[in-house]
Amino acid sequence: MNRIWITLVLACCLTLPGSAQSEITVTDQAGYTVTLKQPIEIITSVHGIATYYIYTLGGGDRLDTAYYIGVKTLSSASDSMLRWEPRLPELLAYGDPNIEEIVASGSELVLADGAQHEAIAEQLRELGIPVVLYRAETPSEMKEAIALTGTLLGPSAEDRAASFIADYERLVNTVSSDLSTLDEQARARVLFIGTSLTKAISGEMYQSSLIAAAGGICVTDVLFGSWNEVNLEQILLWNPQIIIIPPYGMIQPADILENPDWQVLDAVQSGRVYRMPRLIAPMDTPVPESLLGIAWMAKTFYPERVSLDLAQEIERFYTAYYGFELTDEEIGILSSP
Amino acid sequence: MNQSRRYVNWLLLFIPVATFLFALFLGRYGIRVFDTVRVLLGLDGPTDVFRALILRVRLPRVLAAACVGANLAVVGASFQGLFRNPLVDSRILGVSSGAAFGAALALLLTSQGMLIQASAFAFAMVAIGLVMLVGMRFGSSTLVLVIGGILVGALFNSLLGLIKYVADPLSTLPAITYWLLGSLNATQWSDLPPLLSITGLGLSFFMLLRWRLNLLTVSDTEAMAMGIRVRLLRTILVSVGTLMVAASVALAGTIGWIGLVVPHVARAWVGPDHGRLIPASAALGATTLILLDTVARTVLPSEIPLGVLTGLIGVPAFFLLFLRFLRARGEAR
Repeated sequence: MNRIWITLVLACCLTLPGSAQSEITVTDQAGYTVTLKQPIEIITSVHGIATYYIYTLGGGDRLDTAYYIGVKTLSSASDSMLRWEPRLPELLAYGDPNIEEIVASGSELVLADGAQHEAIAEQLRELGIPVVLYRAETPSEMKEAIALTGTLLGPSAEDRAASFIADYERLVNTVSSDLSTLDEQARARVLFIGTSLTKAISGEMYQSSLIAAAGGICVTDVLFGSWNEVNLEQILLWNPQIIIIPPYGMIQPADILENPDWQVLDAVQSGRVYRMPRLIAPMDTPVPESLLGIAWMAKTFYPERVSLDLAQEIERFYTAYYGFELTDEEIGILSSP
Repeated sequence: MNQSRRYVNWLLLFIPVATFLFALFLGRYGIRVFDTVRVLLGLDGPTDVFRALILRVRLPRVLAAACVGANLAVVGASFQGLFRNPLVDSRILGVSSGAAFGAALALLLTSQGMLIQASAFAFAMVAIGLVMLVGMRFGSSTLVLVIGGILVGALFNSLLGLIKYVADPLSTLPAITYWLLGSLNATQWSDLPPLLSITGLGLSFFMLLRWRLNLLTVSDTEAMAMGIRVRLLRTILVSVGTLMVAASVALAGTIGWIGLVVPHVARAWVGPDHGRLIPASAALGATTLILLDTVARTVLPSEIPLGVLTGLIGVPAFFLLFLRFLRARGEAR
């Protein structure tokens, strides 16, 4: 009996210190407890948004396969994106994840979307591959997702995640403080439409939070769910002062500004119809670059009141988090309304 | 013409016209009836906003709803007779599937409404062309046409699935999904000339031939014995019907139930004689879609897809009709 106890104590002494350093346990955003070894060297991201969390925290070189939001083929990737990630041709994947492909890649961690990959995650877990599911649809969930990813990638990434969250809060607080004297009546009424002229965001979408953080009033906050089809009569009832178009889809400001049916709107009469710029990820989605989305919107809504130096914020983000030097032309694209 | 028949005829004219005017008074933007009437009569007073809303937003849309509803119902009624099958509607020949594929393909490549409509129309024509080829090769009997329609419809549905699979989930896929549910939200005046002309010609054609449709509801042999060139007549009717459906689907997306249920309601009202069934279907189809589209654009801040509304109304209506049929046969209490 004594021999058994001595063996157990010895085993604990030998394994515990090692396991404390080589394994971590986290709870993902879908509520699953995930245990995984450290450090993680090979990562597959089948969630186009989570891929950018990895890059932001300096783990891009650990990606083996990745989905990139809005990029299905190399031809749809911009030149800047190819310069930002030269390995894009070998990393880029799209469509439904193929489980055998993931297993064959030797991936040590799979990042997936909690809204659509539950079944695949279950299969991968049965095959012994850890899966982390993300559900980041609000700014606070996005910050949680960044912190979670920092934990997955190790101590230096954790520091970087903390730094990003601090940056995010600093920027939001700056905008909020600059606009603190602005009363409710003076706030910009904003319509965010995309994919088609009459497809508007709901109050539950991430873009609505961005508009609020930038000091605007999202006129479609009364809507629920995802993109809502609205009619021109309803848009006229809202009569937005500013119309924002996302950087994807085929709608351009001219489609609205030159449309005779839209001429009665305040936003059209004052020419305040803008398409969000894009370089790497779309800034209106819950990616880290949405920090710049808030800055861009705040400067576009209130160019005189908001004190942020947009070009400087853009340069700082890309250098600090992506390790990527932007050209003057690229900074110009991102900082213009 | 007896008194009650004359009364029904006036009612068939009055109901869609009254519904049309009623729909112009309703919308999310509160405009008084008085102002609406002044705008319609071209009188001074109402603001530019009111004029733009009534003349550029509501009027073309209500007009389109009337045309699409009438087209789908008339084609449904005539196809039910033509194929001697009460469960048939305008989708039987794969035309809607072809149009859906065409629209989805265009949505993948462009956001231009005219191009989307043109592509939907073109692929609807490709679909019926393929069905006709099958018909030419194996004889244009109703069975061959129906089998051809099922095959062509299945082919285009698979291709549509492929397009949805490769479509960008952020932008294109929601647009395709919404298109497939049907809507008149994007209607502009520039969309109306092709729809109005095809509807006008198509309805006139079916009105002229409505008596001959009765002869096609009997067997081919009996119809031929009465001097009807069955295959030729059937091919012409199918072609004109397809044009009307293609023009409707290209503008409004795939809208179910109108082509199936409205003809049965009309039949229950005026009887099975196509001489009266065709105008009744046109009037009730136009009325139904105007009313449903008014609900779609006024009840909520966001649009309700027409396909959702036609399904919600169509299913119970069809069930009630079926119950009535069973009761008539003594098979239900």
